Amino acid sequence: MKHAFNTVLVVAVVVAVTFLALPIVAIFWQVGLDRLVDGLRSDIARDAFRVTLKTNAIAMALILSVGTPAAYFLATRRFPGRALVVTILELPLVLPPAVAGIGLIFAFGRLGLLGDELDALGITIGFTQVAVVFAVTFVASPFYVRQAIASFESIDRTMLDASRTLGASPAKTFWRVALPLAGGGLGAGAAVALARGLGEFGATIMFAGSLQGVTQTVSTAIYQEFDVSLDAALAISAALVLVSGAILLAVKILPQWTGSRSTSRSLFARSAST
Amino acid sequence: MRKAAAVVGLALIAALPQLAQAETAAAPRLTIYAAASLTEVFPRIDRRPAYNFAGSNQLALQIRQGAPADIFASAAPNFTQDLYRERRVEKPRTFASNKLVLAIPRSNPAGLSSVFELRRKSVKLVIGTARVPIGAYTRQVLRNLGMTSVLSKVVSEEPDVKSIVGKIALGEADAGFVYRTDVQPVRDRVRAIVIPAWAQPKVRYEIAVVSSSRNKAAARAWVRMILTNGRARRLLTQAGFGLR
Repeated sequence: MKHAFNTVLVVAVVVAVTFLALPIVAIFWQVGLDRLVDGLRSDIARDAFRVTLKTNAIAMALILSVGTPAAYFLATRRFPGRALVVTILELPLVLPPAVAGIGLIFAFGRLGLLGDELDALGITIGFTQVAVVFAVTFVASPFYVRQAIASFESIDRTMLDASRTLGASPAKTFWRVALPLAGGGLGAGAAVALARGLGEFGATIMFAGSLQGVTQTVSTAIYQEFDVSLDAALAISAALVLVSGAILLAVKILPQWTGSRSTSRSLFARSAST
Repeated sequence: MRKAAAVVGLALIAALPQLAQAETAAAPRLTIYAAASLTEVFPRIDRRPAYNFAGSNQLALQIRQGAPADIFASAAPNFTQDLYRERRVEKPRTFASNKLVLAIPRSNPAGLSSVFELRRKSVKLVIGTARVPIGAYTRQVLRNLGMTSVLSKVVSEEPDVKSIVGKIALGEADAGFVYRTDVQPVRDRVRAIVIPAWAQPKVRYEIAVVSSSRNKAAARAWVRMILTNGRARRLLTQAGFGLR
């Protein structure tokens, strides 16, 4: 009986791994190393990676600088309506990207809620790299904020209290105690958010459009090159798989190297680090 | 409890093949791959088939990859002719024509009143990619007008004509080249500026039965209907298409 159960578990793993890995294997099987390099040398691939890296770097800076203090607040305070606030922050996780795109257009577009105000300031966001940054920030930030809240919540409260009774200000407690203790979890959250942001597609193509060298990201380039130059599309896909895969793998391996155990206390990282 | 889970699991596995060959057992339902610009008119002509509307270039690629289409209707002859040469579709027939217009939002943020003003004004222009028919025709129009420099005002290259219309209708872009027939469905938000006849490219729609179709008789009948049926021809004209 016990043996049979084990077999079921192993079969389940094999089925899951095969189904999820097959499309990835197919990409690399189609490309081959020489064509991969050639495809990545194309102007379109180079421009797409440049745009993607630039917009994602800015988006990640925004997410970390605003998301970290916000998450700390939500993790350490209890107040009426907190559940609602957290839900709003998490909502983009479950929204279809097309909905995110429509929402961004009607919020920041020319005919959107803030359209007249932005217009008065002489700012247009649609079709610019700012629009790409907005789209990436919108869809990727919940991945970080959620994990950051969990990481801050998993810190032993007595550590924070001890810091306060020893005379450290709340700000100093945040910098010197909370941040280092939650560091591993924050890093894991940032990595997942980055991996999600690098692959952003739906909201970007709706809100920012697609123009080579300006707003065309790796994902939109793959979509548009698909029938023009299959080689380029495959090469970009393969490169994106490698980059994103490396990020996810780093999240699992790095905490073990550094000996940090702070990730294993949070729900999210427990599955990631074991 | 465990039994219930097993039953549900088995039922799911049993349902998979059904999902994969949706409705082939019953009266064969035609699957029609058609250019995005046919999105409104084809279902009005016949509601029954399953439609897949997209850029003709994407549809041609999908058919080449073995997509289960019965009929392919392309906004440019090169895609149907290429597939015909590869024996992936039967002989294509021309069934309609179209004209290009410059679409602008009703609010007309760039203050355009003629296509030539694209040259001197600061305009956010949206066009199709070079590969999708509307994008190829647009480049042809600009060449005919001697206005290819306008391409520097392009802020986005879209994968199909409906994405261009969407960005105009939402007021995000100032202008975009689309088919005349695309403006009518969104005329409360979008206005068309005429492009002179001498600059118009020849926009020909071709339709063909896909060689791998398992409903060839029904597919051929449908193609014949589009080519000859009075009501179908009338609906095409009403939508703004030319009859070749």
